[in-house]
Amino acid sequence: MQSSLFAVLALLVLTAVGFLIGRRRAVAAGSGRASRLHSLPNYYGYYLALWTGLPAFVLLALYGLFGASLVNTLALGELEREAAPLIREYEAQLARDDQYQALAEETQQIEAEALSARNEMFRAEREGGDAERYLRALGALTAQRNEIAAERQVRRDQVASSVAARAPRTIPGVRARAGFEYWRAPSERRELFIADARALAFNEGLASRNTEEIRAAALALRPWEDLFRWSAAGVALALSVAGLAYARTRIRASFRARDRVEGVVGLALMMTSAIAILTTLGIVFSLLFESIRFFASIDWRIHEFLFGLHWSPQIAIRADQVGQSGAFGAVPLFAGTALITLIAMLVAAPIGLMAAIYLSEYASPRLRAWAKPALEILAGVPTVVYGFFALLTVGPFLRQFAMMLGYEDAVTQSALSAGLVMGVMIIPFVSSLSDDVINAVPQTLRDGSYAMGATKSETVRHVVFPAALPGIVGALLLAVSRAVGETMIVVMAAGQGANLTANPLESVTTITVQIVMLLTGDQEFDSPKTLSAFALGLVLFVMTLILNIIALRVVQRFRERYE
Amino acid sequence: MTLDFPIDNPPTRYHPLTTQLPIKVATEDVSVRYGGKLALEDVTLEIPDRAVTACIGPSGCGKSTFLRCVNRMNDTIDTARVSGSIRIDSEEVNGRDVDPVVLRARVGMVFQKPNPFPKSIYENVAYGPRIHGLAETKAELDHIVETSLIKAGLWAEVADRLHHPGTSLSGGQQQRLVIARAIAVNPEVILMDEPCSALDPIATARIEELIDEMRENYSLIIVTHSMAQAARVSQMTAFFHLGKLVEYGPTEEIFTNPLDQRTQDYITGRFG
Amino acid sequence: MNNAPTIRDAVQARLAKRHRAEMRFQFYGLAAISAAVLFLAVLLGSIIIQSIPAFTAHRLVLDVEIRPEIADPRGDGSEASLRRGSYNTLIQNSLRDQFPEAGSVGELRELFGLYSAVNAARLLNEVVNNPEVLGETLPFSLPISDDADLYLKGLTTDEEFLPGAAPLTLEPGMDDALTLRSQTGAPVFDVFLDLVQARQDAALDQARIRAERTAARAAEELDTDTRNSLEAEAQRARDLVQALQEARSDTGPVRLNSQTASLMLRAQGGVLRINALARDGLSAEGTWLVGPDTASQTAQDWSLWVIETPSIARRITDRQIVWARTLKERGLIKNGLNTTLFTNADSREPELAGVAGALAGSILTMVITMLLAVPIGVGAAIYLEEFAPKNRLTDFIEVNINNLAAVPSIVFGLLGLAVFINLFGFPRSAPLVGGMVLALMTLPTVIISARAALKAVPPSIREAALGVGASRTQAVFHHVLPLAMPGILTGSIIGLAQALGETAPLLMIGMVAFIADPPTLGLSGFTEPATVMPVQIYIWSSSAERAFEARTAAAILALLTLLVSFNAVAIYLRRRFERRW
Ligand SMILES: Nc1ncnc2c1ncn2[C@@H]1O[C@H](COP(=O)(O)OP(=O)(O)OP(=O)(O)O)[C@@H](O)[C@H]1O
Ligand SMILES: [Mg+2]
Repeated sequence: MQSSLFAVLALLVLTAVGFLIGRRRAVAAGSGRASRLHSLPNYYGYYLALWTGLPAFVLLALYGLFGASLVNTLALGELEREAAPLIREYEAQLARDDQYQALAEETQQIEAEALSARNEMFRAEREGGDAERYLRALGALTAQRNEIAAERQVRRDQVASSVAARAPRTIPGVRARAGFEYWRAPSERRELFIADARALAFNEGLASRNTEEIRAAALALRPWEDLFRWSAAGVALALSVAGLAYARTRIRASFRARDRVEGVVGLALMMTSAIAILTTLGIVFSLLFESIRFFASIDWRIHEFLFGLHWSPQIAIRADQVGQSGAFGAVPLFAGTALITLIAMLVAAPIGLMAAIYLSEYASPRLRAWAKPALEILAGVPTVVYGFFALLTVGPFLRQFAMMLGYEDAVTQSALSAGLVMGVMIIPFVSSLSDDVINAVPQTLRDGSYAMGATKSETVRHVVFPAALPGIVGALLLAVSRAVGETMIVVMAAGQGANLTANPLESVTTITVQIVMLLTGDQEFDSPKTLSAFALGLVLFVMTLILNIIALRVVQRFRERYE
Repeated sequence: MTLDFPIDNPPTRYHPLTTQLPIKVATEDVSVRYGGKLALEDVTLEIPDRAVTACIGPSGCGKSTFLRCVNRMNDTIDTARVSGSIRIDSEEVNGRDVDPVVLRARVGMVFQKPNPFPKSIYENVAYGPRIHGLAETKAELDHIVETSLIKAGLWAEVADRLHHPGTSLSGGQQQRLVIARAIAVNPEVILMDEPCSALDPIATARIEELIDEMRENYSLIIVTHSMAQAARVSQMTAFFHLGKLVEYGPTEEIFTNPLDQRTQDYITGRFG
Repeated sequence: MNNAPTIRDAVQARLAKRHRAEMRFQFYGLAAISAAVLFLAVLLGSIIIQSIPAFTAHRLVLDVEIRPEIADPRGDGSEASLRRGSYNTLIQNSLRDQFPEAGSVGELRELFGLYSAVNAARLLNEVVNNPEVLGETLPFSLPISDDADLYLKGLTTDEEFLPGAAPLTLEPGMDDALTLRSQTGAPVFDVFLDLVQARQDAALDQARIRAERTAARAAEELDTDTRNSLEAEAQRARDLVQALQEARSDTGPVRLNSQTASLMLRAQGGVLRINALARDGLSAEGTWLVGPDTASQTAQDWSLWVIETPSIARRITDRQIVWARTLKERGLIKNGLNTTLFTNADSREPELAGVAGALAGSILTMVITMLLAVPIGVGAAIYLEEFAPKNRLTDFIEVNINNLAAVPSIVFGLLGLAVFINLFGFPRSAPLVGGMVLALMTLPTVIISARAALKAVPPSIREAALGVGASRTQAVFHHVLPLAMPGILTGSIIGLAQALGETAPLLMIGMVAFIADPPTLGLSGFTEPATVMPVQIYIWSSSAERAFEARTAAAILALLTLLVSFNAVAIYLRRRFERRW
């Protein structure tokens, strides 16, 4: 920490020195008269400062971002290599272990059965058979498999501890054991292992465990960390000095310092706008990559994912489940999303639209001065607040109301309460977009209609509305995309049960709810369960992207028409 | 522009022949204010039936404002305040019991820029009859649309594409479509605010012809910036200046023998 | 005109109808606006009302004797020894002194349930900081448990106080029990018996209706599984009806239990709990929960204290209720402003939970978001508006930015998880990553508003600058940018306000963890686990404790206040520097 702070300070000083030298030299080169120079003396200063500071700071930034993970990889890689004999021994023992091998075979068998159960289930879904039966069978198989997996894990742990116990209690022995433990750990445990080791090595917070192995890992981390830290600082300083020396030689009266400096500025600006593209690329590739891994883990049964009727990613009930082979039919999620979106749009479209029409065609300036900010406040309320409102006020109220009407099974978390509240959230969105669109309809059209003797509402309904229709459709599509992607309200108010129902009083689940459920709480990386969240994310992204593109196109066309 | 008129302008000068024709619209001391700004001041004139009356005058002198008084289009502007009396067939337009909706069915209006609705040609013309409920059956409506288009001289050009959007027509055709739309409710007075200013000479000529034909059936008031057009199509001319009606009389008289120096200057193109 | 009169008639004929349609349409519009405003009012109103209980809290102030043998086990007064002291025992002793009657382990557990043991840590710190207090008696103030607090606020329990009708005799009976008898022969307890009776009748009616309804539904149900479960339910309801009927016809004494209301009797400065009542309302049996001042056999002045909510339906026991109220009457529990809510970080105990940690997390996250989104966004806007050639690539970037603005926020969270955490190995739950994710999310908003601000600067300014020989860069940075700055700032603040209220993407990168220590407001805080205000609201709203409900609402108000002040600054900037060209 201190050394990097020192390096940063040194670099800052060097950069300032570079600036001063550049200016001084420029003045000297112009023999004291600025007019002989191509650019103002300050530009020569900036030029030198850029050469002195920029490459070095980029290097330091890279080190800051990736230094720690590089050190971890190298240090633990070293330990893992030293653990090679232990690993070999462990694998050999497992291969010789009949009990373990029998369990492995059994697992394979069960997986084959689960596969055929899944096939049957999907067929039954398509052909109208008893899919539930296969779902239950699948659940039983998965539980069985997980039980065996747990047994295998126990066996593996036994073998591992006997192997580890054979390592000598010397320093190389402990190092090998540390590497072995790290090698065996699943990825989330690896993270913890590293975090603990770093905590011990560099006083970064408190370690959750303090074992011999972790201490060994901490000791292994230190030299690498020192090496990187010092070399990063050293290389940065060297770069800086070299840049200074090089740029200094280039300063002449005729040197176009301003063009160079502005070139760098232009480049930097261009890079900032490239970030927008990088973000999109990042989204597309990360979602695609993880989705591909998900589809691979369910044997490329993409059609099952898209058209399957059963969603139950965590079918097994055991706590120590290792990986699951749940049912990943996302249709209930799509249906839930559609149901809630529909309810939300049924609320938001008429209210938002009528509010926009009233505000732009009828309202007095006084009313506008009150109503517009009110709508803006409604738009600025965070969605988590809407979720709270839906959960604690609207949900219970609707439940009471439904029970009063004689519907006994009413629940607090229902599609209706989430949809209603989401509709309220979208009202200002619809109204402000349609307000823009309605205001873009030329006044001459209205005048034409009034001059024919039409009343205001006739003008609005027969002239303004048809003229604004494309824009309004665009606005509504954007609102739909908003509703589809909305998360917190549904997470809090719609429930989690993957019910395939059209009854708004039941609880349903949506794409976004499932993404949150799958990725919060304890998660294992690389399990189909976790990866399926990314596949859902991909579906969500593609859906909203299509909606957005169509909507933006339509609105664009509309605007061009009345430009 | 330089003003070389006396500060205390004389009141409107009327030419002697003014009242020979039957009167359709009569205004008395009509003034219009937009907020605090006086845009039209004490306009008193009588507009004949079955004739074309042209309003001329430099930009901003209140011609459009005057026109919009006749069908109470100024009601749609929050800040506009109209005073004075306007009578159509001796019926007070600004009366409390007069519904602008009914009034506007009697007084059609055509604007500077053609403004067909984003609907088909047919629907554009059928708009007025539909909202006012003038046709009981589809056949009646078809008939109204057809006769209106014929009267507007557009039928031959659009008969085979009545259901194309009105905006797909050329500018001149659009303006005639708008005229057809206005006459579809069989108004008594038609107001035209610079109906040809957005058109090329050929389209302008067609509209002028049309205006001349329409004189048979309607009382027309048109605003124009073209002296030649006023001279060609109108029987009466009113010259406005700075919100005041300066001179009013038969077109021939105004153009050959203006009574006021300002009219003289304007029609000879010395300002404006 | 030829047919003018007929047309005027036709118009006139439809006029009334058309005007009615007009009124209707206007009414719909007004109704829509009113609905939106009403929703806003209900939303804010319900949150404000829900939040009210959170702003005050009952605190218990005890005189705690810092007994050296407990606080300083090694007896050397060293910090190490003091840290090993058992401070909760000190608090417990002090509380026991108040209620010597509480003897059994169960009773003591209930007594100590009036506060959370976590409070002892504060006492420890106090003693470690001033070791000279050893052996002295300190006033120590601690928030009482959320359930007791809610009870004292009258939110969870219905109760009623009835004056005693006639003098009572108190006769010692079996064990600790006393028999209470009306001296005058007036049925002094029948008020309560009526209540029990009414309650039983209501329960009976309800059970009957349920039995009938479920049986009817079972008869209609086609699915076998559902029918069986409905039938089982109907049977249970019938059994209940039977049991209740038997209880009604019983003539023995009425026994009070966890299903019935509880009855306390206050006499002689103490509180008795009634365990059973004779049907005639003349006598009852009870035990002292809070001992009397005097040991007299008769009680002239006494009153009944009916706790109508049965103890099974509340999270606070009879004893705790009596103790809490007694402590309040003794002036040891006081209601005051709930400062904990704003000074503490999260806690599993609602009475100790606060938003300070989340606030610190929000500040750290927002700093990162601001440092990234504003310069990058403004840079991109400058490039696109002032430098970029108009070609396919810049068109693509433009479309891209507009699309990004409409991508659901949760997708940005997935991006952060996959790229920043899994690929780059940045720490989970850290404000650094949260800020980066929110910055990417806010970027389109900043770019779009900054471009609008730049566009609003008239070209004449650029031309003037270029005309005197400035380069493009100089023209932009010296002349255009300063003029566009207010607009850019306004847009950026609005974008940041959005980010401040955002929850979903932060859940993806693990900022949903329970964080009991607020992150340090410094450089190292950026990589420590933290949570932010909206996520804290989410966490609390999914907690089971009833007391979190009000605290969630209060946290929402705090967040809304922050957002309103952000927007107020933006509006002020817009007004102050608004320029029309
Ligand atoms: N809606 C309005 N609000 C305020 N002032 C207006 C409005 N409409 C017109 N005016 C003002 O009233 C005066 C008369 O305007 P009007 O449109 O009648 O002029 P005009 O003679 O039609 O001009 P032009 O020949 O340019 O069309 C002008 O000074 C104008 O600025
Ligand atoms: Mg005009």
